Amino acid sequence: MAVLSLERVSYVYGEGTPFEIKALDDVSLTVREGSVTGIIGHTGSGKSTLVQLFNGLEKPQGGRVLLDGKDIWAEPKKMRDIRFRVGLVMQYPEYQLFEETIAADIAFGPRNMGLDEAEIGARVAEAAAFVGLSPDVLDKSPFDLSGGQKRRAAIAGVMAMRPEILVLDEPAAGLDPRGRDTILQGICAYGKKTGATVIIVSHSMEDMATYCDDIVVMANAGVVLSGTRDEVFAKAEILTSVGLDVPQITQLCLLLRKQGVALPEGIYTTEAAITALAKILG
Amino acid sequence: MKNIAFGQYYPAHSPLHAMDARMKVVLSVLYIVAAFLCKNVLSFAALLLSALLLLCLSRLPLRIVLRSLRPLFFIMLFTAMLNLFFSGGETVLVSFWRITIYVEGLYSALFMLVRILVLIFGTGVFLTYTTTPIALTDAIESLLSPLRILKVPVHEFAMMMSIALRFIPTLMEETAKIMNAQKARGVDFSSGGLIKRAKALVPILIPLIVSSFRRADELAMAMECRCYRGGKGRTRMTVPHLHAGDFAALALMLLFGVGILYLNRLGIGFTL
Repeated sequence: MAVLSLERVSYVYGEGTPFEIKALDDVSLTVREGSVTGIIGHTGSGKSTLVQLFNGLEKPQGGRVLLDGKDIWAEPKKMRDIRFRVGLVMQYPEYQLFEETIAADIAFGPRNMGLDEAEIGARVAEAAAFVGLSPDVLDKSPFDLSGGQKRRAAIAGVMAMRPEILVLDEPAAGLDPRGRDTILQGICAYGKKTGATVIIVSHSMEDMATYCDDIVVMANAGVVLSGTRDEVFAKAEILTSVGLDVPQITQLCLLLRKQGVALPEGIYTTEAAITALAKILG
Repeated sequence: MKNIAFGQYYPAHSPLHAMDARMKVVLSVLYIVAAFLCKNVLSFAALLLSALLLLCLSRLPLRIVLRSLRPLFFIMLFTAMLNLFFSGGETVLVSFWRITIYVEGLYSALFMLVRILVLIFGTGVFLTYTTTPIALTDAIESLLSPLRILKVPVHEFAMMMSIALRFIPTLMEETAKIMNAQKARGVDFSSGGLIKRAKALVPILIPLIVSSFRRADELAMAMECRCYRGGKGRTRMTVPHLHAGDFAALALMLLFGVGILYLNRLGIGFTL
């Protein structure tokens, strides 16, 4: 079932000035409840604008944004409630930390929701555990943390609001491979444990292939392809035509199949490739 | 936040856009002087006419220019009101309760209005709308360069100015981003009392200040990596040149000033 959907949405920056830019042009898409959906596209394809429409930070000039089938702009005064339900982690969220301690910063969202102290404490601990922040870090100042730790703290700050839909704009940008994996695994763990829908924006095909059930491919202010992971990666020509690629390991397996190696279709991760190859080699 | 138009370059092809920035600085100063020289109906009419002419010449859309006047609307209104109600005179126009409005007051209110309008418009049309900020600071540096003899660090001032100008849009973008991030966590900027609203700004201001320091640090580092050592011996990629057209514009402006002085002497109607 679609929990979040866009209906023919368009968004223009600087309308009526010489600097006018069309960020989204007649975009329609649906996100399945409980799925991990990846939105992929090059810089300037409209991804970041798109995610800011999900929780009403930006208002589309045309079209509707539907949450559980209801237009989120029907009652603009209740937008705050929408924002607690659709948690958004913006790009480079570590720059938004401002409290004296990490714990206080993670508690900022829940406190704005008006929860009591005991509940806030429980949520902070839970969110910190999801992103893999150890309890001793919680009392430190944000400025004493490494970049990766700050990123995790910022993500925990949104998770602590326990949104039904967690939207993350490039959560792993600029992190080392191990940092990426911890963060993305933590995000998926949050989705599994709470039953929340997760939407991840990224430009890494490898990450998408590993973590996402559904994938939306964006290019030139519109959606060019969407569907389950298998459906999307099956259309490699469309992906390459917009300058994106199937994951490298999938490409390798495709080449091996052409050479006559009896590998199955739909291999997107190195682990899957290793198991499949091990089976063939006995 | 997105519609701040006051003092923003508007790209177009016009004689004013093409003019040398140094000449435009000089012309705008002269234009302001001319606006202050005006004394009677004739000269103010000429001033207004010249503004219209400049508008046509600059090929700026009227909408953009009007938008820049909006933030100063209250100052204009206030000045006009002050002049209307509080200037003395001889001929009474209307009189009610304790307030008397003189014909002279009406005139001076109108004159002040035109003068302020033309001041804002003149600097806008010569400088901010038709000159890029970089060209503008370069022009100021070039015009102030004689002060170097007095050991005034002209280049450093100009560099500081262009960096400051350069970072205005960046900081505005950053502010919008941080505001959005905190709004996503449920900050409410628009309700509650004054103290509550001021408190809601803390989550914006702290990250903004921190990031400004970070940016300043990074910029200083990047400049040092490119061996920036101040203005001494520094050459330019594009060296500006004054053309015949620039001098013709100067001559026209001087002629305009003389014309204003002549019209002032005709002494028709009320004189400031």
